[in-house]
Amino acid sequence: MAGNNIKKRFGFKKTYQGRQTRRGYAFMLPWIIGFTVFTLLPFLYTIYLSFMTVESTVTGYVITPNGWNNYYTAFFKNTEFVPALISFVGMVIPYTFVIIVVAFILAYLLNKIDVGKGFLRTIYFLPVIIMSGPVMSQILDDADEAILAAQGIEKSTNIFILQMIAEYSEPLANFMEGIFDQLTMILWFTGIPIVLFISALQKINPSLFEAAKIDMANEWQILWKIVIPMVKPTALVATVFIIVQLGTYDTTAVYNLIKTATGNTNGGLGYAATFAWIYCILILLIIGGAFVLFKDRDKKPGRR
Amino acid sequence: MKKKKTQIKTKKNAKYYKKMVARIIVYFILTVVGFVYLEPILEMLAKTLMSAEDVIDPSVTWIPKKPSLENLSFAATVLKLGTTLKNSILFAGALAIGQTFVASLTGFALSRYAFKGRKFFFAMLILAFIIPVPVLMVPRMMMFVVAQESLKFQLIGTVWPQLLMAFFGQGVYSTVLVLIFYTAFNMIPRVLDEAAEIDGASALKVYWFIVIKMSATTILVVFLFSFVWNWNETYITSTLLRGNLELLPSKLTLFNSEFDSVSKAVGGAFKLNEAFKMSATLISISPLLLLYAFVQKWFIQGIENTGITGE
Repeated sequence: MAGNNIKKRFGFKKTYQGRQTRRGYAFMLPWIIGFTVFTLLPFLYTIYLSFMTVESTVTGYVITPNGWNNYYTAFFKNTEFVPALISFVGMVIPYTFVIIVVAFILAYLLNKIDVGKGFLRTIYFLPVIIMSGPVMSQILDDADEAILAAQGIEKSTNIFILQMIAEYSEPLANFMEGIFDQLTMILWFTGIPIVLFISALQKINPSLFEAAKIDMANEWQILWKIVIPMVKPTALVATVFIIVQLGTYDTTAVYNLIKTATGNTNGGLGYAATFAWIYCILILLIIGGAFVLFKDRDKKPGRR
Repeated sequence: MKKKKTQIKTKKNAKYYKKMVARIIVYFILTVVGFVYLEPILEMLAKTLMSAEDVIDPSVTWIPKKPSLENLSFAATVLKLGTTLKNSILFAGALAIGQTFVASLTGFALSRYAFKGRKFFFAMLILAFIIPVPVLMVPRMMMFVVAQESLKFQLIGTVWPQLLMAFFGQGVYSTVLVLIFYTAFNMIPRVLDEAAEIDGASALKVYWFIVIKMSATTILVVFLFSFVWNWNETYITSTLLRGNLELLPSKLTLFNSEFDSVSKAVGGAFKLNEAFKMSATLISISPLLLLYAFVQKWFIQGIENTGITGE
């Protein structure tokens, strides 16, 4: 009787729905096991560990409760953590914005042309293949040295337009200079977003463009009224992807901090968990912010 | 009469020219930006071919005066190219096979069966993607340490942890791979499954003979993505493998520090400079470049046809 009840509850019946459930779970099983063991439990355990001190001894791990001390240390005692977090946010937000815009423009242009399409796409998809930590750091290392060498000669910007902007607002000029300095790196992050945007652009029904042209819409209007609303969901996916990619990018300061804390075996693991957990909340907050930004405001029912 | 005709003609011409100009601008932008993309690789190539004098010579920026392959061969020695290349290909390949297989199973389940809790698992799939890897690494490592002590079987420092994670769908960016399969499978008409089921095919047969056999390009795209991501991954590898298996990308991270010792062993004739660094970088990405050159046609087609959004 009880067995029957369980069977009923989980839908393991000989009905159509029962079969769907059974087969669905059968195919999902490896992933579900892996997710539970390697992702969900470690995730929850990290939260638990962030309140503990973990010591690695000969007999194994010794875990003692530590209350909010880890958090206190992270925010008030450790002098590197908070600046690292701030610099991370200061990097992610402008980068994501610039990457999305550049990726969309490039994808739009790549979608327009027909001659030499294959060749150009081969170039633009290249970052998808090569983009990786060690390679980037070898290349950027080179670039950094060049920047340092240049700074020895003249410190402020030598680009005329940026100097003009700096007259009005110093931070804006600095921001723009930063963007131009790291343009190569930013461009190398556009690989996957371009791929996403191109496939989204190709899914737009061509008859929409025809209808718009019959109504005398020009290219600019088509771009703003049809293309951009249609690729908006993709832009969200791309944004999330970029944030995740930037979040696990080797050269961010927070990432390195967590890495060294993980390597520190006497008592370091608890701090590492705390750092990682705060970092995770931060990334989730940024992604949440992206969701809010991309939410369709018109779709809300009952409001006009 | 004649005047009107010419007017129409000039109007047409004006439109034609406008289009031409727009097209030229588009190509101009794409070529210029494309060059910015290629610049690091071109620079790498140029530096690789430079001899030690060319590197210091300020008049040489792109084309070396005395091209030599010395850098390349010595960088290959420092990287231990023979062993590391073989290890990297086998390791990334094994992980990619595991990831592709599990991603196809999961994508199939999500695409074909309306089981209870399907939406929940979608949410979990996204969560697995969003959680930053560093958050998971501490407990994962502890788990493997505890497991290896209770099982008396060495896990940390071997390939097993990563293989296990790949074969249970928790490798690098596994979520994306699942979503690629999900979108691709959704495009295969369900009528085919139903026809096969009426003829008595089991779920496994539908999976294998209909869905998998029809998605060769998708499998290629997913495998390639997975291979590349596993190849480029160094954080998880360095935490779990601890350099016990010599891989090409991890060797590249150590290149600067290992250069001197190898140079001394050879006779101390070499000094670390840009040319050596760039040669090493070029060597470490060239397998991927080669792979890309061979499969890029199908790869781009596959990406464009299936997309990786999973809406």
